[in-house]
Amino acid sequence: MNKEELVIETQNLQKKYITDTVETTALAGVDLSIKRGEFVAIMGPSGCGKSTLLNILGMLDSPSSGVFKFLGQDISNATERQRAKLRKHNLGFVFQSFNLIDELTVEENIALPLAYLGVSKAETNKRVQEAMERMGIAHRRNHFPQQLSGGQQQRVAIARATVSNPALILADEPTGNLDSVHGREVMAMLAELNESGTTVVMVTHSPSDAEYAHRIVNLFDGQIVTENLNVKRHAAELL
Amino acid sequence: MLRNYFKIAFRNLLRNKVYSTINIVGLAIGVASCILIFLYVKDELSYENHFSKADRIVRVAGEVIFEGHQDAFSVTPPPLYDAVREFSGVESVTQFFQAGKQTVWYQDQSFTEDKLLFADSAFFRVFDYAFVAGNPATALSTPNAIVLTEELAQKYFGGAAQAMGQVLRFSKDSYTVTGVYRDQGHSHIAASGLLSRLTVDSQTPEDVRNNQWFNLNRYTYALLPDPQHIPDFQKQLDVLTEAHVNPWIKENRLSAHVKYIAQPLKSIHFDTRYGGDGLSPKGNISYVYIFGAVAVFLLLIACINYMNLATARSAKRAKEVGLRKVVGADRSQIIWQFIGESVLLTLIAVLLALALVQIFIPNFNTLTDKNFTSDFFMHWEFLSVVLAIVLFVGIVAGSYPAFFLSGFKPADVLKSDKHPKGGSATLRRALVVLQFSISLIMIIGTIVVFMQMHFLKNSDLGFKKEQVMVIDIPSGDSTLVQHLPLIKQKLEQHPKVLQTSNTLSIPAEGLSRTLMLMEQDGEMVEKTMDAIAVDHDFIPVLGIQMQAGRNFSPNIKTDERSGIIINEAAAKWLGWADPLGKKVITGNEEIADNSARVIGVVKDFHITSLHSEVQPLAIFLVPQSAGYLLARLAPEDQAATIQFIQEQWRTFDPEHPMEYFFMDEFFDKQYRAEEKMLTVFGYFAGLTILIACLGLFGLASFTAEQRTKEIGIRKVLGSSVSDIVLLLSKDFALLVLLAIALASPIAWYGMRQWLQDFAYRVDLSWWIFAIAGFAALAIALLTVSLQAVKAALLDPVKALRT
Ligand SMILES: Nc1ncnc2c1ncn2[C@@H]1O[C@H](COP(=O)(O)OP(=O)(O)OP(=O)(O)O)[C@@H](O)[C@H]1O
Ligand SMILES: [Mg+2]
Repeated sequence: MNKEELVIETQNLQKKYITDTVETTALAGVDLSIKRGEFVAIMGPSGCGKSTLLNILGMLDSPSSGVFKFLGQDISNATERQRAKLRKHNLGFVFQSFNLIDELTVEENIALPLAYLGVSKAETNKRVQEAMERMGIAHRRNHFPQQLSGGQQQRVAIARATVSNPALILADEPTGNLDSVHGREVMAMLAELNESGTTVVMVTHSPSDAEYAHRIVNLFDGQIVTENLNVKRHAAELL
Repeated sequence: MLRNYFKIAFRNLLRNKVYSTINIVGLAIGVASCILIFLYVKDELSYENHFSKADRIVRVAGEVIFEGHQDAFSVTPPPLYDAVREFSGVESVTQFFQAGKQTVWYQDQSFTEDKLLFADSAFFRVFDYAFVAGNPATALSTPNAIVLTEELAQKYFGGAAQAMGQVLRFSKDSYTVTGVYRDQGHSHIAASGLLSRLTVDSQTPEDVRNNQWFNLNRYTYALLPDPQHIPDFQKQLDVLTEAHVNPWIKENRLSAHVKYIAQPLKSIHFDTRYGGDGLSPKGNISYVYIFGAVAVFLLLIACINYMNLATARSAKRAKEVGLRKVVGADRSQIIWQFIGESVLLTLIAVLLALALVQIFIPNFNTLTDKNFTSDFFMHWEFLSVVLAIVLFVGIVAGSYPAFFLSGFKPADVLKSDKHPKGGSATLRRALVVLQFSISLIMIIGTIVVFMQMHFLKNSDLGFKKEQVMVIDIPSGDSTLVQHLPLIKQKLEQHPKVLQTSNTLSIPAEGLSRTLMLMEQDGEMVEKTMDAIAVDHDFIPVLGIQMQAGRNFSPNIKTDERSGIIINEAAAKWLGWADPLGKKVITGNEEIADNSARVIGVVKDFHITSLHSEVQPLAIFLVPQSAGYLLARLAPEDQAATIQFIQEQWRTFDPEHPMEYFFMDEFFDKQYRAEEKMLTVFGYFAGLTILIACLGLFGLASFTAEQRTKEIGIRKVLGSSVSDIVLLLSKDFALLVLLAIALASPIAWYGMRQWLQDFAYRVDLSWWIFAIAGFAALAIALLTVSLQAVKAALLDPVKALRT
């Protein structure tokens, strides 16, 4: 596969929220390209539109205008159904507040994406087992989310995001609710996933988390103000 | 995936016990009522279905216009039988009549049978009952033959085979058992046995029988080749009446006009137009409607609870929905998940409902006079109805929350700081108003029916129905009739038997109309009015008041043939300012002897129920009237008095067991339909308000939960507990008030319609509505404040921590 293949390409992406009489511009023309295998961090002050951008990239929300191509395919006008399909085959999500289903056990939470993909039971068991082992939570398989610590919950969330081997992982402040030790653990896992070929787009407020990325996109008032290559990371890769 | 849905559904049920209980209990009550009502409706609609030819059997009923007064009868004259047999396109004709109360002897035992019919050999050609023994084609073709139901054969002989060829003795004749049949379904012909009609008919000359066109005492049925022949059959009936029957009536100098109506067999059970239809109790189609409506309402109220609570709680499920979408679920999958959940819940509710049905079947049986058992549980028809209920309720109740919840955008709901509002509060309020409106209508209905019943039972009837024992005098016993004066004398010797009377008929019994010539402006005019034949003591025994003139006297011999007493209504109707001494000719005017004079006027009394106004009435003296013996008893020691009467009676009539009842109970039986209506309304009003309150309880607890933080802050700022209870209850109180405004006019209209059935009725005063509204408001507030107080008492520190 071409290393230069674009997973995401946006041109003049805009998002306006209209509530009652107030119109908020969350995104004011974003041009962004993300190559396969890249690890991109999005930073910026609170309210600048990071989550909005990530949700649009993850097809959880649709832009007000602009072009959005996913794997070369224009999906600005895709239906809800088509987007659901693209999501389940290609995307994994990690959130700041973990967002696990409280009524399902660890194992069941992780298996959920596979259920919607229609993966067989044996195959599901195998892949869930692998994912749990990778994240070191196999011994907690029958616990419910409330019975786990924040760090463990986030690991479950990552296991769930990766169990279907998505091409792209979107993470919105994945370490935001964790202490520094657990935060580092989570970042290490994302980096490891990226190393094995998964594209990662992450929103973060933490400069140290951003260190893990190849590229840092700075957003301000709904626009990209700077894009920096992460020298450290590139250097490491060249070695 | 399916397993995953169910797992989530189950865990949700267990985790939210209050919510699950409210929904399951509410739905279970709704479904149980539906099942019971389904049984009732199905049973009511099953009449005659077991006759394979039911579709093409008609009964001939008659309408008689008598002096502009229309009467309708289900009984027809004997000669109609031969006339209909001449019709073209008629396969079979059968005619039968009731044998009345008969004492039947077998060996040394005797029983009273009152469900026997005299029928002809065509009976079983038309009504194809299954024979257990004997030949249906010939069983009734000879005189003195009797065919029994399996039940009766069992009672007398211990079985069908043993019954064949045995002889049963009646007071007049003896009958040989020629067949036994199975009575397997509901029919308006609720006979326990059939006697061959030939036995009676062979005793009257045919030409006499065939000339009795005005003698209405037989039921006539015809079997047609197919249902389309009914109009043709009707046409032939019309020809018959115009060409033959009405001319005959005119010839006999009766001023009546007759029309015969072909009545399809299956319509008979619910058709109450025709009098003399004493074969079996009539069905009441309005009950079928009322019951059906109540079932639908109960289920609707329970479904509303589900919808309201599910959407109110949607904030809690929003995250799950968002997440499922994030990992790839599309909307339809989420919709099915929630519908699946409500189907599961309904399924549990239905299992509970089956248990409720099992428990309440006996009560329901008393309410409806039916004999349901839980045998039907394993019947495919029943199971498919239950399955249909599960799917219907599951989908109806589940679809609104399903569509609502599945519409959440993951980007919105996954924001940790934002929670979507729990669905449209306006819709939820509207549904609560609907629930309470239905409950209120039921409550108002119950109050009005109750008041009307109280009024009916306690109104002054113009006679005293209390403490009057009525003994049924067996017919056809002439020695007993001769002994009546002696019996009366013997009974009155007892100090607790105040007075006795023998009479042909009693209040609340069908009256016969009699044609009379009455003096009006010096001329004799033909008039028909209700008439009763009584003895000297009838008026005092029943405590009827004289308005003018005097009662019949045993000392004035002429009273018997030429004395007549009328009521005030008759005097008014005839325009007699001074009725005493007015001339009346009864029966055949050519016999001069039949002329009588009015000797007294009684104050109006209600000889029929308060459904109708007091009609003009003529009272004749017939000292040997032998329908009933009335005895006014002293209120004390009635058991002993009754025993004394029974002992005395046995000395005069050792053969028949003495049958008696009390006048007040008998009279009040006329209100049985209303009484049942009251019970139905009462039960279901209770259930609707219960289910509606369950829902309200759930909603209130949801609101309290949702506003925990607000309540905490208010308390920190100095709100008192009562302030907070008021804050939380105010909204709900407003909804109930709205329901009162909505329900009152509907209930007022409905109950006014219902009261139209009564000539004498209570007023629909405003305070009935006030009481019902107040009751509903009180119940609702009690339910809500339970939650509100709980929320208000919560430690504010705790409330703010969450
Ligand atoms: N559903 C919405 N309706 C209206 N305005 C919205 C909505 N969601 C976001 N906004 C607005 O859009 C802008 C961008 O919001 P967004 O959540 O993307 O910010 P963010 O960069 O993720 O901030 P933070 O770092 O605090 O998470 C904000 O001004 C916000 O108020
Ligand atoms: Mg954000």
